[in-house]
Amino acid sequence: MATERLSTRGMIYASLFGALTAMGALISIPLQPVPVTLQTLFLYLAGSLLGGGLGALSQTVYIMLGVIGLPVFSGGKAGLGVLMGPTGGYLVGFVAGAFVTGKIARLRPDGGLLWLVSAMLAGTAALYALGVLQLALVGRLSPAKAAVAGVLPFLPGDALKIAAASVIALKVRDRIRI
Amino acid sequence: MKALYLGQYVPGDSPVHRLDPRVKIVAALLLSIVILNTGAVESLAVTAFLMAGAALAGLSGGRIAAALRPLAWFFSALFFLHLIFTEGRPIIAALPAVTWEGLWRGTAVTWQFVALVASAAILTMTTDPSGLVGGVERLLRPFNRIGVPSHDIAVMVSVALRFVPTLLEETERMKEAQVARGADFGDGGPVRRLRKMASLVIPLILCTFRRADELALAMEGRGYHRGPRTYLHELRFRRADYAALLAVAAFLAGVQALRFLPL
Repeated sequence: MATERLSTRGMIYASLFGALTAMGALISIPLQPVPVTLQTLFLYLAGSLLGGGLGALSQTVYIMLGVIGLPVFSGGKAGLGVLMGPTGGYLVGFVAGAFVTGKIARLRPDGGLLWLVSAMLAGTAALYALGVLQLALVGRLSPAKAAVAGVLPFLPGDALKIAAASVIALKVRDRIRI
Repeated sequence: MKALYLGQYVPGDSPVHRLDPRVKIVAALLLSIVILNTGAVESLAVTAFLMAGAALAGLSGGRIAAALRPLAWFFSALFFLHLIFTEGRPIIAALPAVTWEGLWRGTAVTWQFVALVASAAILTMTTDPSGLVGGVERLLRPFNRIGVPSHDIAVMVSVALRFVPTLLEETERMKEAQVARGADFGDGGPVRRLRKMASLVIPLILCTFRRADELALAMEGRGYHRGPRTYLHELRFRRADYAALLAVAAFLAGVQALRFLPL
């Protein structure tokens, strides 16, 4: 994270994207099999628009908002207990996911839609890797069971969010300068 | 939505409320480590400790239960996963999947999670958000050397905390603006809903960047620069804080010692 020089503006960008991600948790769209919330939409946008370092920082801010008691983790949860609990790995995964998405997106700053989609897919893989790892360790489940319970139900929603995020990122990208 | 600003904080003036935020954060962290490696006797001791803490903080059982309620679904899912998928002696011969071992493990794992959330709830209910930000910043300060920008993170979290309600209002305004142009956010399939959401998110993102630019400019105009700074309210340990820290350490040592007793 510390490799990029952090400017005041970059800091505020990351901070507001953290707030956006937190807000995304409060908007849920009823979908089968699990309702979709918008945190990861803003995670993809933070990564692809801000880059790896600031994207990861923005998700760190989001986690901290939840840790200090704002009900912004999925399902209206909050607090340190969630981070330590079985589903905490997903939150750490948010930081990794934004970082990976941002780093890959930045490799080709004017890559097209497909490049953005692959960057976001790689970010999603990083997110789930950490999520399932902690689910298996803390929830004492076998890795296969953890993967079935902790990845599959979310994939349809993720596909939709990646589609939306890549289109949005492409439209917004040229109008902002970092 | 306005209530969100306060988070879970329950204002009060109990001995727990008055403790230094750092003491409470460290206690919750230590407790979480103990909780994740307990057996039956230790878990009873930890439960008693948490109940004593809640009582001392003036938090009713109902308040704690309210913090646990959003997780009820997860708790039961975890319990049943273990109940069904643990191998061992069946409780009822007709249902070979449901075992005594599963019941035991399900209860233990679910208890661990409930205790973790309860201890975090006591922390966030007795410490106001700015106190927590300050406490975390102070605790992270030693990591400055290895590149963790603790001051910057504290400022960023405070800014984000301030902007969550503003952004929520802004989203509501965008929604109204789109409805005024004839958009219908009511129904439609998942793809249609998502497309409508995009029509909301694009202006929101642009608006967020504009606000961020303005805020950064204003901060720099007032001479803000990153890095170590002084605080209006510098955290200081008082006698009660040392006492509480000692009490927690003694309790945890006691719980660890329990393990070696022939029980």
